[in-house]
Amino acid sequence: MTFRQARWDEPDVWDLDPEATPGEVPPIPGLPERLRRREAVRWPELAELDVIRHYSRLSQMNFGVDTVPYALGSCTMKYNPRVGELLARRRNAADLHPAQPESTVQGALEVQWRLERLLTKVTGMPEVSLQPSAGAHGEWAALTMVRAYFRDQGTLDRRTEVLLPDTAHGTNPASAAMAGFTAREIPSKDGCVDLAALRAAVSERTACFMLTNPNTAGLFESEILEIAEIVHGAGSMLYYDGANLNAILGITHPGRMGFDVAHLNLHKTFSTPHGGGGPGAGVLAAGERLAPYLPIPRVVKEGRKFRLDYDRPKSIGKIKSAYGNFGLDLRAYAFALVHGEDGLRHVARRAVLNSNYLAHKLGTLLPRPFRTLVKHEFLLSGAPLRERGVRTLDLAKRLLDEGVHAPTVYFPSLVEEALMIELPETESRRTLDAYAAAFERALGDSPEHLHAAPQHLAVSRIDEVRAAREPRLSWKDLRDAPKG
Amino acid sequence: MSRWIPEEHGEEQAMLDALGVPSIEALFADVPKKARIGRMGLAAGMDEAEVVAQIDKILDRNRPLSKFASFLGGRISTRYVPAAVDAIVARGEFLTSYTPYQPEASQGMLRTLFEFQSLWVELTGMDVANASLYDGATAAGEALLLCRRIHDGHRFLIPESLPWEEKSVLANYAGGAGLTLEEIPYDPRSGRLDLERVRARIAGGSDVFGMLADVPNGFGVVDEGLWELKSILKDVPLVVSADPLALTVLEPPGRYGADVVVGEGQGFGIAPSFGGPLLGLFACRREHLRSAPGRIVGATVDADGRRAYAHTIQTREQHIRRSRATSNICTNQALMAVAFVVYATTVGPRGLAALEASLAEKARTLASALSGVDGIQAPRFDAPYLGEFTVELGRGTVDGFLQRLQRRKVLGGVPLADPRAGSGTGPQRLLVAATDAVGDKEIQKYAKAARAAMAAAGGGA
Repeated sequence: MTFRQARWDEPDVWDLDPEATPGEVPPIPGLPERLRRREAVRWPELAELDVIRHYSRLSQMNFGVDTVPYALGSCTMKYNPRVGELLARRRNAADLHPAQPESTVQGALEVQWRLERLLTKVTGMPEVSLQPSAGAHGEWAALTMVRAYFRDQGTLDRRTEVLLPDTAHGTNPASAAMAGFTAREIPSKDGCVDLAALRAAVSERTACFMLTNPNTAGLFESEILEIAEIVHGAGSMLYYDGANLNAILGITHPGRMGFDVAHLNLHKTFSTPHGGGGPGAGVLAAGERLAPYLPIPRVVKEGRKFRLDYDRPKSIGKIKSAYGNFGLDLRAYAFALVHGEDGLRHVARRAVLNSNYLAHKLGTLLPRPFRTLVKHEFLLSGAPLRERGVRTLDLAKRLLDEGVHAPTVYFPSLVEEALMIELPETESRRTLDAYAAAFERALGDSPEHLHAAPQHLAVSRIDEVRAAREPRLSWKDLRDAPKG
Repeated sequence: MSRWIPEEHGEEQAMLDALGVPSIEALFADVPKKARIGRMGLAAGMDEAEVVAQIDKILDRNRPLSKFASFLGGRISTRYVPAAVDAIVARGEFLTSYTPYQPEASQGMLRTLFEFQSLWVELTGMDVANASLYDGATAAGEALLLCRRIHDGHRFLIPESLPWEEKSVLANYAGGAGLTLEEIPYDPRSGRLDLERVRARIAGGSDVFGMLADVPNGFGVVDEGLWELKSILKDVPLVVSADPLALTVLEPPGRYGADVVVGEGQGFGIAPSFGGPLLGLFACRREHLRSAPGRIVGATVDADGRRAYAHTIQTREQHIRRSRATSNICTNQALMAVAFVVYATTVGPRGLAALEASLAEKARTLASALSGVDGIQAPRFDAPYLGEFTVELGRGTVDGFLQRLQRRKVLGGVPLADPRAGSGTGPQRLLVAATDAVGDKEIQKYAKAARAAMAAAGGGA
């Protein structure tokens, strides 16, 4: 093992300027004295070089796709092509205010319009909105649309439930609750929707069934057409959580599978960088019944001109102050254009090949629940490790010492000690082989080493229990309780 | 085929051989024929160079702010961002990482987010901040939901002067929870909240669970009534939506009783980019911590007793609490939070206060130049303001006025009316910002263009 993460003994930014004392705020023209801040904001004054050095050092204590394979399942951590960064920083893209007159932002509107048209073809849904900032934001917006639809139908007082499989992402039930529905989980069978359980659960109380396909077990819900029939038979809506769209680009799409509304994650499927947790872009796609309810504004083309249309009487209104995350829309558009029709299909093909290849290799080391033909990601169970007094968490930490990012762990909860692994289409066979070798080394290590991992990162195993028990959440807390 | 998908030495065939399947197609045997699609109908792929050329051609149809004397502001700022900020934001270690689910491997991002939280705490006078929400409007929506968790009632008070976009976003957050928004009118002379109305609303056996007020407000007014608001609201939670730059010179909302402080953080180090990505800021009092939305980074120790950082108080969150979570948020705006703290640290606290002072100075010069134009009231409201103020036109429409200015390369401000109401109805107002890119020359240019536009709008008052 040769991997060592940088371990800078770097102070917090405020400790770089120990003399920092809050000064006076200068008199502000027109501002009455009584409204002026008595004490200036307490924050360090630093030379620009010291700022650059501080954050450069911190960045070196952080894994990214640029430096390591990032195997987080359901996160689709693919390579983020730098051409997107180049384009998003063009003055003609970055230096635009959303309140500029439409005649001065025709290019921006055209990019958004073109991306929307492209995504209607990718999703097989007639209308697309780029407004949501993330997948969960799109889920909530879509369910708000479903709510508005049933209100118009006069059945909202009856349609109070949103159903979802027990493998659903946590955002699904949370979004359902925020949109005013009661979320009800349906038990899965062999990792997929149990049709009998679905039939028993669906009723005239069901507003919507939310489904990820392929699901979080990495399995394609092969009975999707029957599922759509059951849901529609009860007059309910079928929602597509696009988190896992990467697996089916150009093979099938939510429209063909019978979904009424969908969200996509441009930061997953269309490669916009994840940025340490965001920003994302969570496109909404809607079928005929829900399209009139999409948020305003909509980008429309009239003749050769583009404009924002606010005249949509059924629209739910706004879900964010401006229209879309334009900087990300631009990156996603460039990604889609480079790939084109066959390239996007190959994204899915290669992602699925990578996943099955790695699953095949790792499946000899740990048990694989459910069937073995998987899509973009797969599950392993770390349950056998228990015999050695080791847990999935220990394995994950030990993997970090190999200079690779761990899989998603302990999700979905129906698999004991779950590991959810996804290395998308941008990873070479060599990397997959290296990942498998690292995995095997980690597994073969002694329980002592596994418990003591990680050893080669900037810090060793973190006491997360203490973080929650004694919350210290800012510099202010550290000042007030300067121990530890 | 693109370089972005590897195909070295026929590796796909080798992988298929290892799997013992004849083709990639066989790996999709679980997708039923009836669910398959043919072609999507997209164009063929292109070289990266061709794509850059094609997109550049489209982007050339934009005319960026630099081509104008721009007075656009509101919640979206066009301030200059020191190049150092983007140098950090663009670092692959930050750019291409994700939510720090493995904190040991992600100390860089966690520590930077901890610094970000600390800065928002210092600016607001609150106790705890989260690691970002989508934008200022959605942060206000989350604050509304927090208020309902800590106080009974079904009505949430908002200023009538709040930007229409934020009202619309708030209506969606409220609607899902079966709650109602109620607007508090402003004093027509000062643009300030009608505190008597708030008092009456609270006194009359209240069904109010919270109130939001903004500083500066939707008219650019710094309303000192906010300083008394909590004494009127008493135990009803107060949310203040505050501009971060304004907070470098204004009393922090923690000093006048705010329970939650939200804001739009884009002005600190993030290009306007036609409105996204933005940055939602959120902080609250410690007693509301368990009701707060979003990721929160906390300090702790590692196995060797050294300081280390991790996400904490996660039992509030969707991945654990599911339908009973405080919010559905997962992906947030972490990289924008990095930009925020790097910007503030680069410019420094004195630099930020000096910047706000200079914008306030410019705004006064601008207001006085515009107030000399027949038919223009600038500022419209008689109350303190910083770098932005409201202009009201005595004749003509905001649309017509702005179009005439645009012909003279002036972007005159942000229309305040809800576009759904139809232009030309209601008071003709716009929010005008003194930006760091304008000087005396641009201000005179605006005044001159405004004079011509008002003359063209027809007969004097």
